[in-house]
Amino acid sequence: MATSVRDTALWLHNKLGASDDLWAPTSVTSLLTPDTLYNTRQCFLELQVPVKLKLLLALVHLPRRQLQESSASVEHVISQALQDDDAWVRMIADVVRSYPKSGTLNTHLEDSQSVYGDTVENLRGPVSEVDTSSLLPLECKYLNRTALNAMLGQQPPPVKHFALKRKPKSATLRAELLQKSSEAAAQQKKGIPS
Amino acid sequence: IKLISDAGYQGEITSVSTASQQVEVFSRVLRTSLTNLLEGGEEGLEKNLPEIVKMVCHGEHTYLYSQALLQYLKEEEGGSAVRRISQELQKAAKDLGRDVTEMTLALGKASSYPRACQALACMLSRNALNPADITVLFKMYSGNNPPPVEVIRSPLFFELFMQALFKPGSKLNPEHKPKYIYLLAYAASVHETWKKNKRAAIAKDELKSTSQAIERATNLCCKERSEVVAELGTLYSCIRVPVVAMGVLRWIDWTVSEPSYFKLLTDHTPIHLALLDEISTCHPLLHPHVLKFLIRLLETTYPDLDVLVQLELKKTLLDRMVHLLSRGYVVPIIQYIKGCIDRGDTDISLIRHFVTEVIDIIAPPYSSEFVQLFLPIIENEAITGNLRTPDESDPVSDFIGHCRSNFVVMT
Repeated sequence: MATSVRDTALWLHNKLGASDDLWAPTSVTSLLTPDTLYNTRQCFLELQVPVKLKLLLALVHLPRRQLQESSASVEHVISQALQDDDAWVRMIADVVRSYPKSGTLNTHLEDSQSVYGDTVENLRGPVSEVDTSSLLPLECKYLNRTALNAMLGQQPPPVKHFALKRKPKSATLRAELLQKSSEAAAQQKKGIPS
Repeated sequence: IKLISDAGYQGEITSVSTASQQVEVFSRVLRTSLTNLLEGGEEGLEKNLPEIVKMVCHGEHTYLYSQALLQYLKEEEGGSAVRRISQELQKAAKDLGRDVTEMTLALGKASSYPRACQALACMLSRNALNPADITVLFKMYSGNNPPPVEVIRSPLFFELFMQALFKPGSKLNPEHKPKYIYLLAYAASVHETWKKNKRAAIAKDELKSTSQAIERATNLCCKERSEVVAELGTLYSCIRVPVVAMGVLRWIDWTVSEPSYFKLLTDHTPIHLALLDEISTCHPLLHPHVLKFLIRLLETTYPDLDVLVQLELKKTLLDRMVHLLSRGYVVPIIQYIKGCIDRGDTDISLIRHFVTEVIDIIAPPYSSEFVQLFLPIIENEAITGNLRTPDESDPVSDFIGHCRSNFVVMT
């Protein structure tokens, strides 16, 4: 358990400093106690970039109550991160800054982060030109037609590659099965096992 | 690295860890990959996705940054394609063992509804539905001012419903089942009208009929085969509802994937496979799923079955492919068959069976794309040699003659 600011910095480095895995460990929520977060505000600037990033990202995994209990420390850490020398730290701090209060991540960074704004601007063209029916969201296959049309508009019919001169064998199979089905239903009504 | 990127050569920066060191360079490489994905559509997804997954999932910061960017772009015109890319990245991150549930919810509309968000987070991160959280959502969505339908319209949430309601052996408490059905039907059928970020109307006119179809179908899927046969008409009518078709498709998959399924069969075409035809007929959006499933079955070996029985089973599977082709899903099927020929790993009599069945049902006008793909298969002597007659009065020769006189065929 970390007891002083110096200890906290070293302890965070040991826990979050691994450079071979740049994702916050699953244990991070149990690491960030109110004491640790309080000490972190005083040592944040000393931390290495991967540790700073994992700390900021860990905030999204913290239970809401835990976040609210340490709201002052968290706000302080985020405000320092927003002024950091490293562009990744500033960017991630900007995304998570609204999270402690609202539970929502900030995606409107176009004015505060020029790289983000430029990327959005450059992608607007390709996004607006894309044929929406060529890459449908995964939930579309579950939606009723009216719900799908309300979401995406009328879908174009498939390209016709040939005409059909007769139905495939499957049509005969379907008719046979329906015949079998009505016979089975009739037998069931009479109480005869099929 | 930044100089290389500044000069416009981000394509040359192949190392992910190098590209992701600077946010500016990362953004440019990401932009190139996203543009490729958008331009490649569904067909290019399989090829283009691994590269972008590697980059986006390199670290949690690269993942969050990319998803924030995609969330912003989802609101733009054409944003539905961006939504798909974002979902594919979520799925890939999950497959890599990363729990991105909180991030996903905090980026979307769910974050404005803390109770719904908490219930969803609990189920999505554990990959299982539970009655307590379902009850919370049920109360909210059956109340007067429900959260937006979008909150529960996530592909992973739909998948969990499929497992709870359609998977054979699923132990769902009958007392809670109506709540599950209601929520699934709500997510699949309700649509809303939004004006200036305010919900102006909720259309629930198909909610009841969708719930009824799900209920009937789930009841039938628990029954014995003979009972399913007797109520085939009911099942066919339920399958017209997309969410039911998807559930039945999963049910068929789980059922026939049982190792003993084909061993115990006596029917030429088992009812489960015949149901695939109905799904193909009613739902063009499910065509890729049906094909993927058929390919998996076709490429499975059945060591317990006699060689001739296996061949018959595979012909039955190819008949399902022919049905799918007749419903408009053409190019991916022909490409698959062409791949089988090129690899040389498929019994030629099966290819011949497929070709014969297709030639039997098709007529001009043919699209150029179809001719370019199908003609080389038809002209392959090893496949169609013994289907042709010396006087060329057979369907294979007719097709070749028609294509040769009406199309410029690329070799």
